[in-house]
Amino acid sequence: MKAAPFAYARPAALSDAVAELVDADGGGKVIAGGQSLVPVLAMRLARPTTLVDINAVTGLDALRTVGDRLEVGATVRQRRVEHAPESAQVPLLRLALPWVGHRELRSRGTVCGSLAHADPAAELPAVACCLDAELTLTGPEGERPVRAREFFDGAMTTALRPEDVLSAISFPVAGAREGFGFAEIARRHGDFALAGAAAHVRVDDDGGVSAATMTAFGVSDRPVTRDLTSLVRTTGGDQAELAGALDEVVREVVDTDGDAHASNGYRRRLLRALAARELAKAHRRAVRGTAEVES
Amino acid sequence: MTSTEEPVQEGLRPVRAEAGETVEVRFTVNGTPAVLNLPARVTLADALRDHLGLTGTHVGCEHGVCGMCTVLVDGEAARACLLFACQLDGAEVVTVEGLGRPDDLHPLQESFGRNHALQCGFCTPGFLLSSYDLLSTKPEVTDEELPAELSGVICRCTGYRNIMTAVSETRAAHPEGIPEPGNCARRALVGRSGGQSATVVEEPAEPSGETSRNVEIVLPEGDPTIAVQVDTALDVPFDQVWRVLDDVHVLARCLPGAELTEELGEQLYAGRARVAVGPIKLSFHGIARVLEQDRDTGTIRVLAQGQDTGGAQTQADITLRAHATAAGTELRADAAVYLTGRIAQFGRALAGDISRRMFEQFADSVRQAATTGEAPQQSHAAPSAFRMMFGTLLDRIKRIGRPRGGKS
Ligand SMILES: Cc1cc2nc3c(=O)[nH]c(=O)nc-3n(C[C@H](O)[C@H](O)[C@H](O)COP(=O)(O)OP(=O)(O)OC[C@H]3O[C@@H](n4cnc5c(N)ncnc54)[C@H](O)[C@@H]3O)c2cc1C
Ligand code: FES
Ligand code: FES
Repeated sequence: MKAAPFAYARPAALSDAVAELVDADGGGKVIAGGQSLVPVLAMRLARPTTLVDINAVTGLDALRTVGDRLEVGATVRQRRVEHAPESAQVPLLRLALPWVGHRELRSRGTVCGSLAHADPAAELPAVACCLDAELTLTGPEGERPVRAREFFDGAMTTALRPEDVLSAISFPVAGAREGFGFAEIARRHGDFALAGAAAHVRVDDDGGVSAATMTAFGVSDRPVTRDLTSLVRTTGGDQAELAGALDEVVREVVDTDGDAHASNGYRRRLLRALAARELAKAHRRAVRGTAEVES
Repeated sequence: MTSTEEPVQEGLRPVRAEAGETVEVRFTVNGTPAVLNLPARVTLADALRDHLGLTGTHVGCEHGVCGMCTVLVDGEAARACLLFACQLDGAEVVTVEGLGRPDDLHPLQESFGRNHALQCGFCTPGFLLSSYDLLSTKPEVTDEELPAELSGVICRCTGYRNIMTAVSETRAAHPEGIPEPGNCARRALVGRSGGQSATVVEEPAEPSGETSRNVEIVLPEGDPTIAVQVDTALDVPFDQVWRVLDDVHVLARCLPGAELTEELGEQLYAGRARVAVGPIKLSFHGIARVLEQDRDTGTIRVLAQGQDTGGAQTQADITLRAHATAAGTELRADAAVYLTGRIAQFGRALAGDISRRMFEQFADSVRQAATTGEAPQQSHAAPSAFRMMFGTLLDRIKRIGRPRGGKS
């Protein structure tokens, strides 16, 4: 259980990091927190020729609000986001972070690393998709933006090319009439989800539902996002009614063959219950109109 | 636009190393600065255990699941098996060895003991550091939250109930915040040696020239690992004994396993010392400074600092006092030796016995040198551990068979 030898580069500039990846000619790998990568290396499921450690790159550790966006740089640790006052402006991120592994992993794991790793059962990709966050990919030709909903191509497959660094992600700051919900079921706290749901509801000044989105994770090869505006509007955000109305969506969204931990049918029941509950919560929070985080 | 304070990362220097090369890491472990040269693929857990002798950090799964290897990195709990040591450049690491001292345990350690929260003890270091992190960052945590909060560490003995009680009790006893780790003074770290690991560790540069002259020997804070006092009666007149003590070259040759390699001026000397204890063979390269050499009081005081090939250090403060008696000379040696890690784990008693025997051999050599005017011939091999251990055991057996206070 030891990683095979690799060349190690820890440059101070983003352009140098990209240059290292280009030089490695497909054999390079970025390491941020290492919380997903090191196990893969230890089990020798991957044997990159060069690890490019981005932790000394200046500027990537920025966590800041710019206008109505929260920007999270590539080396910002999950635990820092969990406690930073700025991130309270993105309640869904705050709701989801405690579910990401354990405290000990979040001290080192980064938000961007989780997205780049693209585990289908991971929480942060679902958050990014639900809020349709914007990712910045930096490659040899410079920066290019990619919407979260277009970033995930399948299990552990993303729009990142071997010579790209995911340099930052930016989330929209929540408005006063927006509410959020997040929950998952895992076999043990901190484990990957069997099924999980992130919910977002926005209401207009009269309390009418103007937007509702649900992103499911752990039930397909990537996070699956659905616009449920009319469904939440017609049920008025009532949890029991929502559960009934969600049947069809859930059947279509849960797309796995089932595994040792849960059958396909069980995952559907889990997702239906979770989605109904979290959408109802998001609706109540939106109507209350403070965009606050509470459980 | 706002932004939060980023934790200090000043130490993270840019670096590039090919697959076969090593990377220099400068970090602080339990308050002691350490420098290692390691291949990039060596994890922090292995660096702590194999290169710094800090085997309190346990390794179970080696892929982040079990939590056995949990340590504090810059104050936060982290998995030592999921970090490459080279990434820790400039970081501050605290291991279970840094949490408390054997004679002054951290409240969490006390509570674990009191509540029988350790069964086989394998998960204990991980639980201690995970719960330290929890109580120091979330002192308001409730008992109901404890199972989820501590789920990052797995106890294979299923001792959870008692562990939760121990953590809960510690929290209740320290509502104002849990005390800091109590064993983080600057001290010597002792590494594994003898080419145990496949990794290349920096061979400490032979101290020489300018650099060595500027070397300050700074003793660690806190109590020494071993304090020995040996009194020996020599049937040789004081003047002859002092002649030996006054000549550093002769003196060095009297020390078992030691060898003086260079005179650096201003009472600073470079040398080597080899010690073998059972399967462990340590080879120290180091320097010694004579602080005091006074014929009137018959005193010579030396500070010594050695670097093992494992990249770790040990330090000693040695005072020899000779004074004339009717029968010849009484020689007293006082030594405070600072060690941690592997050797210290042999237990103070045994380590103390071994040091004592070394001083006895030393006194014997001084007697020979004083009588013959020449230092005894030494092969610069390590003093036989077997003989020393055997002697130690023999002494103990003899002592048992003898009434208290009996003459030796
Ligand atoms: C026991 C255990 C339990 C876990 N449980 C969970 C869980 O419940 N939920 C969850 O979401 N995660 C979980 N994780 C995964 C982990 O904690 C992370 O959140 C995350 O996936 C890794 O982030 P990182 O910064 O450590 O990335 P790394 O491990 O450094 O990198 C992961 C991958 O992304 C690439 N990468 C990283 N950063 C970048 C970048 N900026 N640009 C381009 N590529 C990049 C790397 O090359 C690598 O392929 C768990 C891990 C362990 C060991
Ligand atoms: S050994 Fe590190 S978590 Fe198991
Ligand atoms: S006490 Fe044995 S594993 Fe926990």
